[in-house]
Amino acid sequence: MFLTRSEYDRGVNTFSPEGRLFQVEYAIEAIKLGTTAIGIRTGDGVLLAVEKRITSPLLVADSIEKILEIDRHVACAMSGLTADSRTMIEHARVEALNHTFSYEEPIPVESVTQAVCDLALRFGEGADGQESTMSRPFGVALLIAGVDERGPQLYHTDPSGTFLHYEAKAIGAGSEGAQSALQEMYHRDISLPDAEVLALKVLKQVMEEKLSNTNVQLAKVTAETGYRIYSVDELQEVISRM
Amino acid sequence: MQAAPAQMPIEAHGHNHWSPYVDTGGTTLAIAGADYVLVASDTRQSDGYLINSRYSPKAFELANNTVLGTSGCAADCKRLCEVLEQRAQVYRHRHDRQIGAPALAQLLSNTLYSRRMLPYYVFPVLAGLDAEGKGAAYSYDAVGNMLRVTAVCMGSASALIQPFLDNQVAFKNQRVPDPDRLLSREEARKIAIDAFTSATERDIYTGDYLEIFVVDAQGVHKETRELKHD
Repeated sequence: MFLTRSEYDRGVNTFSPEGRLFQVEYAIEAIKLGTTAIGIRTGDGVLLAVEKRITSPLLVADSIEKILEIDRHVACAMSGLTADSRTMIEHARVEALNHTFSYEEPIPVESVTQAVCDLALRFGEGADGQESTMSRPFGVALLIAGVDERGPQLYHTDPSGTFLHYEAKAIGAGSEGAQSALQEMYHRDISLPDAEVLALKVLKQVMEEKLSNTNVQLAKVTAETGYRIYSVDELQEVISRM
Repeated sequence: MQAAPAQMPIEAHGHNHWSPYVDTGGTTLAIAGADYVLVASDTRQSDGYLINSRYSPKAFELANNTVLGTSGCAADCKRLCEVLEQRAQVYRHRHDRQIGAPALAQLLSNTLYSRRMLPYYVFPVLAGLDAEGKGAAYSYDAVGNMLRVTAVCMGSASALIQPFLDNQVAFKNQRVPDPDRLLSREEARKIAIDAFTSATERDIYTGDYLEIFVVDAQGVHKETRELKHD
């Protein structure tokens, strides 16, 4: 009755009088603090590229993992509170395996994405007796890349449980600059090798540190080889083509 | 499940203990070709020496160009078919596409195995086209063992028909075996008709009508013929 507007952002299950869920909106804000991640769809496969913030020379760069496999044909890159993505990726992996178990076929990429988004809104108290896994919204956005019979696809999911299909998408701190750079340089017929270079060029523009073969991670998902992460040498080869 | 009533009718077979399973007889066969698959089954339903129905179909058209042929207990066959139909529809809603025959085949195997301890009394065959458009026939036992086959026969006359199919469809047991040869659609249809006409002469559980389903890229074509009524 006497709540001021600002008090509507306390609970995760209360709409503000304007019809907003502040905690979900704040979760979306949290992603803008995360490192930049880029996804580019090409005719031959989907490319994922992420920036790693090496905050100390004593940090082992390999220990930062921001691109993970969901199934042989689906991978995901993340930005935001990366620890939150653990639950979501675990869920996605289980869904993918269950699908293969039930139907002896790889799960469609859109279905994996849908499964992740189903989980994204399962926060708060949990309706009648239903277990909820989180007390707050997930503070992470994912770029889900995969190949199925509809060809290579890239999806973006956010904490509101919305997913959208993209040709090229950037998330994280540098997403605004990166997205407009992608908009300028992306074209539908881009080849995979060109997309590798484009991804790193765009990352380079928005990164504070100097881009090297240790502070970025590159991965691709193709119909032939499925998910593959680039080794340092392969990464160096792409850098040399920039 | 409800507990068995204390007074159960004594079965025609002479066993006086109650069993949840009744074999209502009947036969189903499937033949896979290069771009088609055929399912044929009779429509008689019996209980021992009694005929329950002369027209109780046991092959069912399922989602997306697939046919499920069954034999065993008619009630279980019907339920299994409904369960599969339902799951195929859930698949369509969830993944925004029709379930393919190979996916449905695996789903059927899992569905059967999920009732490992009180199985459906059903011996199904599943027919459809695979991802390449080739005819695919799958045969199962009651607990979900699955095999993709060229020709299979299940049910009360299977012992009469299967060796005939092995010889005339799969070209096994011949001086010059030819396991890669596939029958044309008309050859397969004629063999199916001959198989049932002969089996009906000897097997009392098979007869009345023959339903033939042919699945190809255009869809499912159904034909009904008469068999002996005795």
